[in-house]
Amino acid sequence: MGSKRLWKKTRLKKSYDAVMIGGGIHGLAAAYFLARDHGITNVAVIERRYIGFGGSGRNTAIVRANQRTQGNVRLYDEGLKLWATLIRELDFNMMFYNCGNLNTLHSEAAMGAARLAVCTAQLSGVRSELLDRKQCKELIPALNIEDNITYPILGGMYHPPGGIVRHDAVAWALAKGASRYGVHIHQNTEVTNINVEKGKVTGIITNKGTLKSPRVLICAGGYGALLAQMAGIKLPIHPLTIQAMVTQPLKPILNHVISSGAYHVYANQTLKGEIATGAHMDPWPNYTTNTTPYYMKHQAEALTELLPCLKGVKFMRHWAGIADMTPDMAPILHGNDPIEGLYLDVGWGYFGFKSGPITGKYMAEYMAKARRPQILKPFSLRRFEQFRHTGETAGAFSYGPWN
Amino acid sequence: MSRLPHSPTQRIDRGKELAFSWQGRPMKGFKGDSVATAMFSNGVRIFSRSIKYHRPRGLYSLDGESANTLVNIDGECNVNAETTLLREGMRVKAQNYLGSVERDLLGIFDKFDHFMPAGFYYRKFYKPPFIWPLSVKIIRKLAGTGKIDPNKKWSKNDFQELYLNAEVAVLGGGPAGMKSALVAAEQGLRVVLFEARPWLGGFYDWRTRRYKDSEPLFERGRKLAEKVKRHQNIRVLLHTFVTNLTGDNLITAFQVGDEQAPFVQRYIEIRPTSVVVATGCTERPLIFQNNDRPGVMQATCALRLARTYGVLPGTRAVFSVGDDLGLEAAIDLHDMGLQVAAIADARQNGHDPELIQAVKERGIPLFINWAASSANGNTVVNGAVLGSLSSSESKAFPCDLLVASAGLSPVTAPLSTIGAKFTYDAHTNFFLPTELPPRVFPAGRMLGYTDPASIETSGEVSGLKAAGSCGLKTSAGKAERALQDLPGPKRGCNIVHGPHIGSGDKAFICFDEDGTYKIARQCVEQGLDLPELAKRFGVFGLGPSQGGIPNHNLPLVLGELRGTAMEGLFPTTTRSPFVPVLLATVAGPNYQIFKRTPIHRLQEKPEAIFRRTGAWQRVRYFSNDLTSRDEIMAVRNSVGIIDVSTLGKFRLFGPDALKALQRVYISDMSKVKTGRLKYSAMLNHDGMIVDDGVVTQIGDNDFYFTTSTGRAGNTVEWFRYHTRYENWEFHLVNLTDALAAINLAGPKSREVLSRLTDEDISNEAIPHMGYKELRVAGKIPVRALRVGFVGELSYELHFPASYGESLWNMLFEAGEEFGIRPFGLEAQFTLRLEKGHIIIGQDTEQRVNLLDLGLGFLWDRNDRAGKKIGAPALAFTEGQKGRLKLVGLKTDEPSQTPGDGSVIAKGDEVVGHLCSSRYSPTLRQSIAMALVVEELAQEGTRLNIYQNDHNDPMWYKATVVKMPFYDPQGKRLKE
Ligand SMILES: Cc1cc2nc3c(=O)[nH]c(=O)nc-3n(C[C@H](O)[C@H](O)[C@H](O)COP(=O)(O)OP(=O)(O)OC[C@H]3O[C@@H](n4cnc5c(N)ncnc54)[C@H](O)[C@@H]3O)c2cc1C
Repeated sequence: MGSKRLWKKTRLKKSYDAVMIGGGIHGLAAAYFLARDHGITNVAVIERRYIGFGGSGRNTAIVRANQRTQGNVRLYDEGLKLWATLIRELDFNMMFYNCGNLNTLHSEAAMGAARLAVCTAQLSGVRSELLDRKQCKELIPALNIEDNITYPILGGMYHPPGGIVRHDAVAWALAKGASRYGVHIHQNTEVTNINVEKGKVTGIITNKGTLKSPRVLICAGGYGALLAQMAGIKLPIHPLTIQAMVTQPLKPILNHVISSGAYHVYANQTLKGEIATGAHMDPWPNYTTNTTPYYMKHQAEALTELLPCLKGVKFMRHWAGIADMTPDMAPILHGNDPIEGLYLDVGWGYFGFKSGPITGKYMAEYMAKARRPQILKPFSLRRFEQFRHTGETAGAFSYGPWN
Repeated sequence: MSRLPHSPTQRIDRGKELAFSWQGRPMKGFKGDSVATAMFSNGVRIFSRSIKYHRPRGLYSLDGESANTLVNIDGECNVNAETTLLREGMRVKAQNYLGSVERDLLGIFDKFDHFMPAGFYYRKFYKPPFIWPLSVKIIRKLAGTGKIDPNKKWSKNDFQELYLNAEVAVLGGGPAGMKSALVAAEQGLRVVLFEARPWLGGFYDWRTRRYKDSEPLFERGRKLAEKVKRHQNIRVLLHTFVTNLTGDNLITAFQVGDEQAPFVQRYIEIRPTSVVVATGCTERPLIFQNNDRPGVMQATCALRLARTYGVLPGTRAVFSVGDDLGLEAAIDLHDMGLQVAAIADARQNGHDPELIQAVKERGIPLFINWAASSANGNTVVNGAVLGSLSSSESKAFPCDLLVASAGLSPVTAPLSTIGAKFTYDAHTNFFLPTELPPRVFPAGRMLGYTDPASIETSGEVSGLKAAGSCGLKTSAGKAERALQDLPGPKRGCNIVHGPHIGSGDKAFICFDEDGTYKIARQCVEQGLDLPELAKRFGVFGLGPSQGGIPNHNLPLVLGELRGTAMEGLFPTTTRSPFVPVLLATVAGPNYQIFKRTPIHRLQEKPEAIFRRTGAWQRVRYFSNDLTSRDEIMAVRNSVGIIDVSTLGKFRLFGPDALKALQRVYISDMSKVKTGRLKYSAMLNHDGMIVDDGVVTQIGDNDFYFTTSTGRAGNTVEWFRYHTRYENWEFHLVNLTDALAAINLAGPKSREVLSRLTDEDISNEAIPHMGYKELRVAGKIPVRALRVGFVGELSYELHFPASYGESLWNMLFEAGEEFGIRPFGLEAQFTLRLEKGHIIIGQDTEQRVNLLDLGLGFLWDRNDRAGKKIGAPALAFTEGQKGRLKLVGLKTDEPSQTPGDGSVIAKGDEVVGHLCSSRYSPTLRQSIAMALVVEELAQEGTRLNIYQNDHNDPMWYKATVVKMPFYDPQGKRLKE
């Protein structure tokens, strides 16, 4: 029976060479690559609930590489290309559905923002195109391009290499891969403190015992700031509830990921046929994962304007997760500073799924060599105190009425 | 098919026959029928095909518990036939099959299930990689159930909204719910009662057993229902599906309108003080081989078919039951003419002796501690095998109906979403709520009560508690004591599956997604042995009807398969909506809500193009010429007017008003004088501009200032937040909506204005950046602000909103001879670009602060006391290398205009981008403001610009130049 298990059942050891706090895709990926590429196999992934409990099992699984700045595009592009490799390597079909993403544009300002993203992508070797409204309609026949809606469509940004990946499968595949290399995965194990001595991390305390480890990675998704706080590091992170929902399964009607900034909505049809849709985050920081009726109403209003045929579809499941938002909507990938051996892979907000495996790969390198890989340079924690935001969004992001 | 003779329990109106069609075949039903019961009464047995194996599926329940009865009705897909009332002329069609629904060619998948073990999706279709895209196509085609009809018209008027108010909401109109509604209403509270079925009564509605030896239960139910409906404090919402109970008792629901209703469906929201959850139970599905065959159905389904709809569910039946209700159903159906070949009862003891006696009297073979182990028949049931739960004995019976049930499962969805905690209770085999949020009270059958008196009393207890929690001095003590003397929860059926499970044919835990017992076992073997993981890996309870069927069975099965106790195993969190709800219903009328300026109507010309800007609708272009050339030239050469009523307008006064100004503005605001305007900016802590505008003093400690349109809403909060520890005394009044504003701009603007006022508006009286309060047209009080955003002599006139249209018209008349014309946001965009004035968000972004924008002169470096927001960031970043800078540029080819957002490139490296880029008709030259890396910010630097619109790649060359582009000395402003 044991041989059939995706990942092995193991005893919690007293000491590991590296510990990942959080059994989401970031932690699992970092563990996998640490073991695979750097020969560090005495590794544990510590998970409070079960694998994929956090954002990794709650996201809407959209992958793309058409971000605003080149630094970001490079990382996400490599991430996008990694799926095919990983599927082969881990021998697990993560169902990368390469349907392409269409971002509809509803204002002159949005057209300009899209032009910037398109040009940046193209110069970075990533396919992305600016479309007019007719081309949008050709791509998605169900789209309403009339002028009689709240935000008429002026054009679109089309990104063919993007799509969706089966999120749970990524977590399971990485768990399987990591386990093959000897990584321990401990579910139902909660980290309650991080031990630091003389500026060095020495291990962690869990509800099942204390572990020694010279390297600790905080990759606890929405809870990252709480864990950093255990080590005395205050992160500029706001935890915000983010909701998503799916409709009942349908025969194919939507062949792309569609998103709209003006309507604050995105949607795609999963391989199962459900229309999965999400939007903005709740603007008040909190750690709950409650859903709210106003949000479902917003989704329905927005979707039925953009894609009127969806009026006849039914929502069937609505859930929420936590997005850990930084002031510039880019992650914090940082280590050895101010505590030696303590690494951070946090601040992924609502975009940390697509980047999970690739970030894991580079964080593994970071942890193995204790040197920040070039590609992670833009994401230092220190950028905030130096007032150097990454420019991932144009406007300063606001998390409350006071901002 | 003939119906049973009339009985008072029935809910159909035989006087009203309704014609409908199924798969094009004409059929008849009665008013009161659901689509499903009408179909069934016409002999339809196969309603659908399952999603994965394409197995035939039929009527199993009557309240929409599974996807078995999803059909297409009049072009709407995935409609549950069980919960939809039959209407005249309905065209009902089956979904998701190839060939016919009776003989689905895709049924072949049923034979290949060994290719589809738990998680098979993750092991197949991708080797070699090139087959994957093809597999995607096939998977997509096969997946999904309903098909959208893109041409179906949906009228917004069919969907309405109802926002209610009441102290108590009761979920569930069964005996417990009705009782709690009554007791709460009798306390004088307003009560709303939600019931999903089109009538009240719950599980009394079809039962002929007697209540405490008096009237039959159905009669009692109807009497209670009358009482409830007549009570003036109770509003009953029938055919209303609760979709969520969430934080602080917010309830959402939707109601399906009857034929008289002015709506098809309506969305409902209410936040009562207290909630009674009396949602009762559904039957717990019994898991055994082929438990999904049409002809297998729940006991209440079989009984209700006969009692409520007058349809005998079969001719010869075998029963496998788990509680007294099952026995009762067998007896009652027998008495109505159903042949009952045998009854298996899974329980070892605890049977109601009266019922056992009745079974014996009728000569029906009864097998105690037995249960169904399989249903026979290739498409529909033609036999059943019952097996002993304690030995290997079994017995087969020919039959066309197999009534199967493992007792009851409480409907806990609303408790789950509101955050109740559950504990597994071995006595009832229920997950019972043991920790409840405040002001939420479960009642009735869901707590395990089976005796009618106990159920009703439990409803009273909860109704009184709910009333008490609304602040009334009611006590539930007496009712609680009465409840204690009544029969408590009965021992529940302790099995969820029949004997000989795990071998042979498929046994389903989840119908919707073909989740079998075997798949659950495979999940456990692979280590995905928690309900949350098995649910996702094996796919249980994620289908169209969500957790209904598998929700409580999955953890019980996993517990057994793991061989562990139930500790730590719970049903997975219920997600809203409890019942799938149409997007059209949730969207409702979807009013287009936006703010109009007081001058909106006058600008609504056919050729005017409006855009949503924040909360407002504003004109972007006044003609189809999207360059707005004529509008621009009018302002440059003569005069134009623009409605700027959306600008934030504020009065700030009080002894500490100046301190507040000093805190939020980056400049030295002590220099603000009466009669003069000061331009300044508000920064955030990172030194980024969040707003800019002008400030003037209008009295002692009394200021007037403007903000940008987008910022108006946040301004009061911003002031308050950033002075929150200061105890300063100041008052801030948002006058944005009270005042209209028009910018009268152009060299002729003074002349135009002078025709409307006798007051001195000369350059001396109101110089550039001057401020004066005027009377226009004798009585309109106008604040005239001589600002220069568009780079010409101009007067921004602020005045009471009620005069908006009048003054606009007067200005038009006065300016007629100068060819005055309105200009829109696009013209303003170009005009201010020519002048080098920034628009926040357009020409600024996260990476740049005040200094990077070349606006460092606004910063009062000497400030100490003010603790200006953003000042430390400016001090820190001054001289910092590697920042982006705002520059002006001109294209080499004057007529070439790259679009906003075009990228400045060095090889393939992005080194900047164009923020605002337009062809300037005034300068006959393309100009732009751009953010570039510092090294490229020097005047004279050559830049390469890349743009690719609609696959038409373009490279432009440009040079960094000084700004402003137009009237660099500002002469035109000062004249
Ligand atoms: C609704 C929603 C939609 C989204 N959509 C997208 C999308 O379309 N595309 C995209 O790229 N991203 C999306 N995201 C974001 C993405 O899901 C996350 O950024 C990503 O999953 C983060 O992965 P992670 O491994 O870092 O964290 P998680 O997956 O959140 O894992 C962190 C884990 O840490 C565990 N943990 C927490 N505290 C402790 C402790 N004290 N001890 C032990 N373990 C602990 C948690 O239980 C959790 O399992 C979305 C997120 C949500 C919520």
